[in-house]
Amino acid sequence: MAMNGVNAADAVRDTIYRATMYLDAQKWEDWLGLCDESFHYAIKSFSPEINYDMIYLQGSRKEMLTMMRLLPKHNTDHSPLSRHTSVYTVDVAPDGKTASAVSSFVVYQNMLDGVNAHIDAGESRLFLVGKYIDKLTIEDGKARFIAREVRLENRRLDKGSHWPI
Amino acid sequence: MPARNHAQWTATPPLKGDEWIDSRIYSDQAVFDDELERIFKKVWVPVCHESELSKPYDFRTFSIANEPILVTRGPDNQVRAFLNVCPHRGMLIERRPSGSFLEGQPSGNPKRITCMFHAWQFDLKGNCVYVAREKEGYQDRLCKEDVGLRRLRCEVKFGGFVWVTLDDNPAVGLEDWAGKPFECLRKTLEAEPMEVFHYHKAIIETNYKLWHDTNSEFYHDFMHYHNRVTGFNDAYFARKNESFEHGHVVVGTFEVNYQNYEGFESRAGLSFPHLPPNQWYMIDLFPGFNFNLRGSALRCDIVTPLGPNKVMIEFRGLGLKRDTPEERQTRINHHNSIWGPFGRNLHEDLIGVTGQGTTMRPGTEPRRVLHGRQENQTIHDENGMRHYYDEWGRWMNRLPNDPEQPWAARAEAQPAVAAAE
Repeated sequence: MAMNGVNAADAVRDTIYRATMYLDAQKWEDWLGLCDESFHYAIKSFSPEINYDMIYLQGSRKEMLTMMRLLPKHNTDHSPLSRHTSVYTVDVAPDGKTASAVSSFVVYQNMLDGVNAHIDAGESRLFLVGKYIDKLTIEDGKARFIAREVRLENRRLDKGSHWPI
Repeated sequence: MPARNHAQWTATPPLKGDEWIDSRIYSDQAVFDDELERIFKKVWVPVCHESELSKPYDFRTFSIANEPILVTRGPDNQVRAFLNVCPHRGMLIERRPSGSFLEGQPSGNPKRITCMFHAWQFDLKGNCVYVAREKEGYQDRLCKEDVGLRRLRCEVKFGGFVWVTLDDNPAVGLEDWAGKPFECLRKTLEAEPMEVFHYHKAIIETNYKLWHDTNSEFYHDFMHYHNRVTGFNDAYFARKNESFEHGHVVVGTFEVNYQNYEGFESRAGLSFPHLPPNQWYMIDLFPGFNFNLRGSALRCDIVTPLGPNKVMIEFRGLGLKRDTPEERQTRINHHNSIWGPFGRNLHEDLIGVTGQGTTMRPGTEPRRVLHGRQENQTIHDENGMRHYYDEWGRWMNRLPNDPEQPWAARAEAQPAVAAAE
């Protein structure tokens, strides 16, 4: 049964905030547990330098899962990321079965490895700024991601990251 | 040998003189200042790709050796470069990274390069065409013809890259500078127009040469799980590092097995023109520019040194201009899954050079950095770096393994090394 608009919007916000917490905790499979089988993920940014809307990373749910499972085989920066997400808008479809949402986020890098861990570890630095543009399906009172576009303002990404944002 | 004491740690390594260098060349301010004057103000620098200036009146801005540069495409379709400095009072003329002079600006007219400060205007050939209240202020003492922009040598070459030099009389022309290393890919890169689809930058606390070293040696493939599983086979270990005049190096190709990395696919369907499937070429140009073709996508790294321990690296990805949307998406995925800011390899490379930068900060004790692997000039031989530092020593008139000594001292101090060259 479709939910009323207020409850559906609450379910969407709940899913977006849970996703933030799972991503911060690097619980990748729990994060993907919030995603529909048809889920598509993309990190994008517009570059005025080359006048091109770029895709920095994209993949299906399966491809993201494969990528996560291979992470232990890769060298990576260990500094954890903290995402601060604010859901700005939730628009529920008239039939209550789907919704779209726009959220603002900033990502801080909590230095562990740093440039020189002796000096940098324990410091938090602004890493990324952008918006989440989400599409979700709503079923049995729960919202699940169909698509997430991470729209970055950044084109300077320094060491970058192996992790989804 | 067990862990070493200070004297052992700082002793000359049991290698020939060109097989190790002194880390002061990565950390000393005086060496860095010298590099800007002696090298970066003299060489050809690939500042961007022509597709970033696709229409007349488009512009891009850059800097070389602290000098601001403006590159424009004129109404005659010619790409030109100027110092981005107003001849009046030194104002930076164009502050944006890119845009078009077709639109008028608050201080100036359409189709003009305008300095916002006092409204002096220039055409796309760099001629001054308007000085506000010219006669009232200068009478007949100075006129527009006296105050054109500073033009710079600029060429579009080797697959549409835009090359600029600050030197009006470079030691060699661009063709002689880089033609031979580009020969392995010239037919491919010049077969049809290319287009940039990826741009991002990294500012890293390390020396620019350490980034170029990483692009020049493949021994560090042990750091990359992706490269180990897709590459390590007999053909990989047979790849040659070929040295060219002016300090350039080309790493020869082999067929990469991308499908050996779970979730990745062969790139054979989108190979660049005239290439067998899944090839991987690398062209490293002195003093810090890299062209890296992995089958379906071309990557270009351009370094802008910012200090002895700070460098900006700009990363570009290119495909073919005629790509269908589907082909472009696939090329982007191929490029970014390895080389994007969230890709598998680039993050690892940048962690590596950041770690080197940490141990070689200004003021740290001089260290010996080894470049002594000898493997018949194949992929894990470090001859590429030795060739680079041989060139660097000549340009700088400094010995890489003792930068206080002039290059001329090399032959006297190390005759065996000179003979080996």
